[in-house]
Amino acid sequence: MKLEEMQEIWSEMSHQIEEQKIITNDLIMKMTKNQYHRKFDRLTFYESIGSVICFIMAFFILINFKDLNTWYLFSSGLFTVVFLIVLPILTLGSIGRLKRLDVSRSNLKEMIIKYKKYKGQLLLIQRLGIYLSFLLMFTVLPVFSKIMKGKDLFIENHSLLLIYMLVMSVFLLFFSRWGYKCYQNITKSAEDVLKELDMER
Amino acid sequence: MSTEDSFIELIKENKGLIYKVTTLYTNTAVDRQDLYQEIVFQLWKSFETFRAKSKISTWMYRVALNTAIKHLKTLEKKKSVLQAQDRNVLIEESYDYEYETRLRSMYQHIYALNILERGIVLLLLEGKTYNEISQITGLTPTNVSSKLSRIKQKLKTNMQKQGL
Repeated sequence: MKLEEMQEIWSEMSHQIEEQKIITNDLIMKMTKNQYHRKFDRLTFYESIGSVICFIMAFFILINFKDLNTWYLFSSGLFTVVFLIVLPILTLGSIGRLKRLDVSRSNLKEMIIKYKKYKGQLLLIQRLGIYLSFLLMFTVLPVFSKIMKGKDLFIENHSLLLIYMLVMSVFLLFFSRWGYKCYQNITKSAEDVLKELDMER
Repeated sequence: MSTEDSFIELIKENKGLIYKVTTLYTNTAVDRQDLYQEIVFQLWKSFETFRAKSKISTWMYRVALNTAIKHLKTLEKKKSVLQAQDRNVLIEESYDYEYETRLRSMYQHIYALNILERGIVLLLLEGKTYNEISQITGLTPTNVSSKLSRIKQKLKTNMQKQGL
């Protein structure tokens, strides 16, 4: 199909759309408000709920920190607390940057570049989270076991710790492979467009 | 006239513009409606800060196209083929089989292009000059021109592939 032919079809379509599409004042404002609420209700809710759970867990560890009386339990506790506090903050910040991207101030080229950058940062944090989860898996059970039952799993129950590590490793391996595939799918088209932009410079 | 009234007027006057952007960047009616609402919301959000530094249509195209890019949570779907069953570009009262077929064929060709090229084609079909396209997209007029040559080539190749 040639551009000239497209132009002809497009102009006929534009004419028909102008005549057909009925949009009322109420509908416009309803749409605007709906979108506002949907953004704040849905996105904020799901983003925040995971963070709150992490913060509660971190707080619980912190108030019982005195129970972690060996260097390895202390280190495990410290890593777990930092992970549970820092990662949600980084994720929320990154999503926030993506949400606050001002679509009215940049042109299409800048928008694609910024979008790709912020999306890349968000996905990088998510991947980092997946990789660090392997470490978290190693630290979280002994920490909670010590705080809640007073048992030092590193000394008292090696077999339980090993079974747990084995099951979690398999789970995390599949989970991270799936996460990586998602990452590749999501970024591929944006990468293609950016490559095209680079060629123009 | 209040800000809300001016905004409503603006949307009513440019309803077609928003609708056409949504048809180029979505695959299903639900996605299309979602993107339409998102564009109206983004226009409302920046409406008060818009100080007529550029033409209102330039600002609207910029917001609409940028919102469509931002909306690309489903980037991987963007090169998918137009699905006849979930796309009716025109509503039923004026349904003309022959015209609808040509229209679908046109969309199929546009869908084969990438995100940026789709935006450029939209602006060209809307009768924008190279300079206006350049202002909206951020590409230089020379780049717009070379992109258009490439787009024409792609459309030609695509047509040959389909044996048309």
